Amino acid sequence: MSAARTIYLLLVVAILAFLVAPLVVIVWASFFSDKILSFPPGGYTLDWYARAWQQPDFVAGFLMSIKIALCAMAGSLLLGVPASLAIERFRFPGRESVRQLLLAPMYVPAIVAGAAVYLYYIQFEISTEVQLAATFPGLLLAHTLVALPWTMRLICASLATTTGIAEEAAQSLGANALQTFFYVTLPIIRPGLIAAALFSFIASFSELEESLFLVGPGKTTLPIAIVNYLEWNLDSTIAAVATVQILIIGTALLVSDRYVNLGKAF
Amino acid sequence: MSGEKARRLKGGALVIPALLLVILFLLAPIALIFRFSLDIYDPGKLMLGVFSPDNYVKAFSDPFYRGVLLDTARIAAVSTAVCLVLGYPVAYFISRTRSERLRGTLIVFTVLPLLMGNAVRSAAWMVVMGSKGLINAFLLVTGLAAEPVKILYTPTAVVVGLVSVLLPFAIITLQSVMDSIPQSLEEAGRSLGYSPLRTLFAVVVPLSAPGIIAAAAICFCLAMNAYATPVLIGGPSVHMMGPLVYQQIAKVTNWPFGSTLACVMMLVTLVLTIVSTTYLHRRYF
Repeated sequence: MSAARTIYLLLVVAILAFLVAPLVVIVWASFFSDKILSFPPGGYTLDWYARAWQQPDFVAGFLMSIKIALCAMAGSLLLGVPASLAIERFRFPGRESVRQLLLAPMYVPAIVAGAAVYLYYIQFEISTEVQLAATFPGLLLAHTLVALPWTMRLICASLATTTGIAEEAAQSLGANALQTFFYVTLPIIRPGLIAAALFSFIASFSELEESLFLVGPGKTTLPIAIVNYLEWNLDSTIAAVATVQILIIGTALLVSDRYVNLGKAF
Repeated sequence: MSGEKARRLKGGALVIPALLLVILFLLAPIALIFRFSLDIYDPGKLMLGVFSPDNYVKAFSDPFYRGVLLDTARIAAVSTAVCLVLGYPVAYFISRTRSERLRGTLIVFTVLPLLMGNAVRSAAWMVVMGSKGLINAFLLVTGLAAEPVKILYTPTAVVVGLVSVLLPFAIITLQSVMDSIPQSLEEAGRSLGYSPLRTLFAVVVPLSAPGIIAAAAICFCLAMNAYATPVLIGGPSVHMMGPLVYQQIAKVTNWPFGSTLACVMMLVTLVLTIVSTTYLHRRYF
């Protein structure tokens, strides 16, 4: 009985370790001093981080990813918060279908969405002569869509915890719609709002497949720079770059864990 | 009363900007590739502007493309099965953990690797499975192998890589359904003299069936649509749908055929998503 329980416990730990181990290994490998990445290491160094920073592709990709993730975060909040408010606080025809539609970007395979948006942009350019493919606005529109469902889910969940009585009270006391939003609703959804911002950032920062179709030459994001590099090389430079991405996303995730139950975000 | 109704409709208008974004930059593009998928490729013009089922016939009858479809389905099915077997015990463990704090920690451990992104995760697996990687170093040092074993660039490596992507989804989906199964039912089973394992199979497994189906559907979809894992961990010898769509559209510029493959993936995903959400809503408790 207790032996069976021990085996069960070990099994669970082993499976969780399987998920986390590769990330631990790549962080470890970013400190190896050997020229050719091999185990066990001959020594340790921080040189690879400096080297990664000397590669223009990684620096440009890193800056691009930060920029696009911040903009996509802003875009997804600007569109997603009002939309969540409409869905949770107002009854209008087709409300449930609208909710499903706004979550749809999460279910459409990224590679399909990437292909579709790319061809759409080209078609758009042919008919209007406005270029969207390989431009920042074009990529931003796609990333905002990737981030939108996360905002919708977290803000809707946050709004659903109250029924809107507080808002009604504020309005009956003479607050206008904007005052109600900023003084009543916003404080209620603050934890959800922070989590939505962080998850939107993460979703955009780690996005790879859709961006592949949409970035222009010399304007790649960090994940694409990583994939391009991996096609020809596997060394501690890439481990250092990956570690930087792990640190950024890990920080965002741990901060958001303080505000929402992460299991509920999926 | 009509003023109230007007206020509600006006409030509903807040949804319009987000809705426009989804319609203009997701639904319209998908409609466009569906149209393209019925066109015929002409290297000179890209498109002929006709309606024909030729691309779909080619996708399912050409031995190479049919082979890619079947290989993708096979790899996705194996990865899904592995995810269910590995995910079930973990989901049950998390679901039956009473301490909120431990539960939270376990969930963070589960989703942390998921959110790191496909590029980083694939890079990590390459370091682990490469010819000079961690596993080979271990095999050589312990004498289990005389020379490096080829692990990377095999279908098995792709399955391992995919399982590490999908497992968090399986665990979270299963766990959320298990949370809704009252523990008293298991206690009832135990009081009838069932062993813990028998209780599990007689009570928990049947009641969590909607979760199992939903988790399987989600895993299969994500595996079928994978791009980074087959490209980086599978290498040139493993062919899957995701990389093929990218190659057809971005490299070969055969837009009609690339669109067809994308539409096939979209359709399978749509059907499985509908199946999984229907089952998830048909819970017993």
